[in-house]
Amino acid sequence: MLERPDAGELIEAARETVLNSLLAALPREKHYEARMVANALAIAGRSLNATVPAHDIARLANTLRHNEPVPGSAAYAETRAALEEIARARCAVSAPKAL
Amino acid sequence: MDDATLSEAAGAPVRVLSRTLLSGGAIQQNWLLEVERDGTPEDWVLRTDNAATLAVSLTRPEEFALLRAAHAAGAPVPEPLFDGKHDGKPFFVMRRVRGIANPVALGKQVGPGGDATLVRECGRALRRIHAIQPPRPDLSFLGEPPADPALAFVAAMEKRLDEAGTPRPVLEWGLAAMRRHAPPPLPPVLLHRDFRNGNLMVEQSRLTGVLDWEFCSWGDRHEDLGWFCAPCWRFAHRHLEAGGLGPREAFLEGYGPGVDAARLPYWELAATIRWAVIAADQGARFLSGVERSLELALTGHIVPALEMDILRQVEGLDAGTT
Repeated sequence: MLERPDAGELIEAARETVLNSLLAALPREKHYEARMVANALAIAGRSLNATVPAHDIARLANTLRHNEPVPGSAAYAETRAALEEIARARCAVSAPKAL
Repeated sequence: MDDATLSEAAGAPVRVLSRTLLSGGAIQQNWLLEVERDGTPEDWVLRTDNAATLAVSLTRPEEFALLRAAHAAGAPVPEPLFDGKHDGKPFFVMRRVRGIANPVALGKQVGPGGDATLVRECGRALRRIHAIQPPRPDLSFLGEPPADPALAFVAAMEKRLDEAGTPRPVLEWGLAAMRRHAPPPLPPVLLHRDFRNGNLMVEQSRLTGVLDWEFCSWGDRHEDLGWFCAPCWRFAHRHLEAGGLGPREAFLEGYGPGVDAARLPYWELAATIRWAVIAADQGARFLSGVERSLELALTGHIVPALEMDILRQVEGLDAGTT
């Protein structure tokens, strides 16, 4: 068994330190970078619990390039649903505010 | 850069009193120079290449030629002064324009109510830029205008996705919709191709300077209008459809005749796709190890939010509404 705090807990603690302690002590021109560090840690933390939908991304991309489904068809609705599932899972890690 | 180099390029004795590296510009370096030219104090901005140049962007002399054309057309741009070469690297000098360009600061300034006067000026500025039309021997480096700007756009994006090598089905979904809904070609105009909140210098409600001319090309005027209005460039004020700065109606009113509003959703989708392709490329530049920048790494993580926009925009186009 690995020692706790685990990866997620350490990332969260590091992020809190950046935002709650370091940020105020930094000169103004370094605030942007400090916020980027906090953002990077948040993304890394969320990626630990991410679920990746089971879709063949390469095949899907290739179909859409060369043989796209017609709007209104069943294939169109199915593809749309799959893409939404993929985009939501990706967004949940990278930018949950956009959901 | 020494006084002698600047004096030779300016054709007058120049003494640099101070130089400051300005923020922004992943591709270029911008220096603020306080100088005396012929004994008269002036504030200049010197623009030269950064270490990481992008193959897709224009060169400094080309950008200088565009700035001159736009200035002559009456568009609000920093006055182009002279160009030259230093250590083999081309540079040019323009007069400094006052104001703020930072989209977060600008969003705060206009507030949630927006600034109709400002976006009207943005529309007027874009109209002046679009008054520059081929043929233009001074802009020959832009090449021939595309016969079909919409389909040329799709082909260019597909090429970049193929070069990057990462399959991106949501972007392909957007490009397929662009093929389906491609509008008939219009006479080509000069496109700025990065006319958005962030590249506009603003003082109060006045647009003092349109910046960053390195992505210009010939194309459909609605591409620029759509880029400005696209959701991804509205920052904090998503409901302010003209760049997060004001109402769309005021922006189009400032632009005046020649707009087919029905074309805008199409080119707003194009804007989201293009920004997603650029953002993905920036993330890839970090991954390749060429440039270890946290900002590049995080830019890659913008792509999924843009994919959510693309799904909504395609839905709007296919439904015939937005």
